[in-house]
Amino acid sequence: MIKHHPTEQLLIQFSQGALPATLSIAVAAHLELCECCRIKVQNLEQSNAEALFTDFEDDMAQDEFANLFEQITANDDIDMPKGNAPQTLNYQNKTIELPRAIANSQLSSFVQLGKLARARLQVDDGELRASLLQIAAGGEIPHHTHTGFELTLLLDGEFSDESGAYVPGDFIWLDGRHHHSPATESGCLCFTVVNSALHFNKGLSKLLNPIGNLIY
Amino acid sequence: MVDHALRCDSRAVAGNKTNMEQAPTQALTDALCKVAQHRDKRAFAQLFEYFAPKIKRFGVKQFGNEALAMELVQETLTSVWRKAHLYHPDRGAATTWVYTVMRNASFDALRKMKSNKEEHISEDIWPLLQEEQMADPDFQDHLQSKQIQDYISKLPLAQQEVVKGVYFQEMSQEQLAEHLSIPVGTVKSRLRLALQKLRAEIGDSND
Repeated sequence: MIKHHPTEQLLIQFSQGALPATLSIAVAAHLELCECCRIKVQNLEQSNAEALFTDFEDDMAQDEFANLFEQITANDDIDMPKGNAPQTLNYQNKTIELPRAIANSQLSSFVQLGKLARARLQVDDGELRASLLQIAAGGEIPHHTHTGFELTLLLDGEFSDESGAYVPGDFIWLDGRHHHSPATESGCLCFTVVNSALHFNKGLSKLLNPIGNLIY
Repeated sequence: MVDHALRCDSRAVAGNKTNMEQAPTQALTDALCKVAQHRDKRAFAQLFEYFAPKIKRFGVKQFGNEALAMELVQETLTSVWRKAHLYHPDRGAATTWVYTVMRNASFDALRKMKSNKEEHISEDIWPLLQEEQMADPDFQDHLQSKQIQDYISKLPLAQQEVVKGVYFQEMSQEQLAEHLSIPVGTVKSRLRLALQKLRAEIGDSND
């Protein structure tokens, strides 16, 4: 069972479109795996809509919109939604289906370092970087601290750290207060979003550390 | 193509507190369904009139800029007009759906301002069409039989009688001939004509 969920605050921001793109993708992917958060977001969207769309003091003159109405309805075409062909990923000798929000983004190819492999999501999002991270069976990430924050969404497999064991769908938010050394017995695939600027600020050692570099 | 009439039965709006004091939620939902089913401009005018000023007010707050707010009105209402067929009343009220369309347009606009890139990433994050709606075999069958019934109802009455007798009441052609007091040969020829027509109709729409 999923034990780690986005905070209420994060869900509210997500429902308002106020989160950066990479974090929105992470929350959307979590929602695909977690029904209770999905329902929460539906309810939030409903109350956002009610807050904005239910008062009557109206407002501006309609004439400023007159041309717009003609312009929009002049064309009878309809838009078809973007196709959602499920996208699969082969990793560690199995094939898994990626959450739609992740699968629809461009991915770089995997870069391997020991038991770790990382593919970057090609989404321009300021100082945030999103990646798919594989850890092969028996692999671990050496003890580290988060100078900024690190979000991990476990997509497949398992891993555990000092705080316990995680299952697919777990949404794990860590920041500077946390130290951990995650390890996996049977291998796992994660989606991660890391805030890089703070990482860099914290000294060159991180940069020179190839694992730190790979994770970021 | 999918029959919108079935999907857009607005009698049951989930999550709609039937509170008459509230916004005209049901009326807006009905209007959105009419746009979806019939490209009904009058219904769209109703939505337009209701939402345009509200979206603009939101846009001014969001972007602090009148021109960008107007762009948001245009983006959102164009999508409402062109994507109404993706709306499902059983997934929530029209106000919620329009809100999500506006939220997505605003998200893309803010990203465009920051990264100067024209992309529509919001569609990946908040898809307007959910997976389960695409691949539900029961739903498809249901639609198809509804569609076939629609076609049958367009046949001349004499042919309808025969088709319904044979396929829905499962009478033999002889029984049916007796029941309708016509020769068996006539039953056969009416059935042949009816099936030809149905095949043509259904075949055509599948192109």
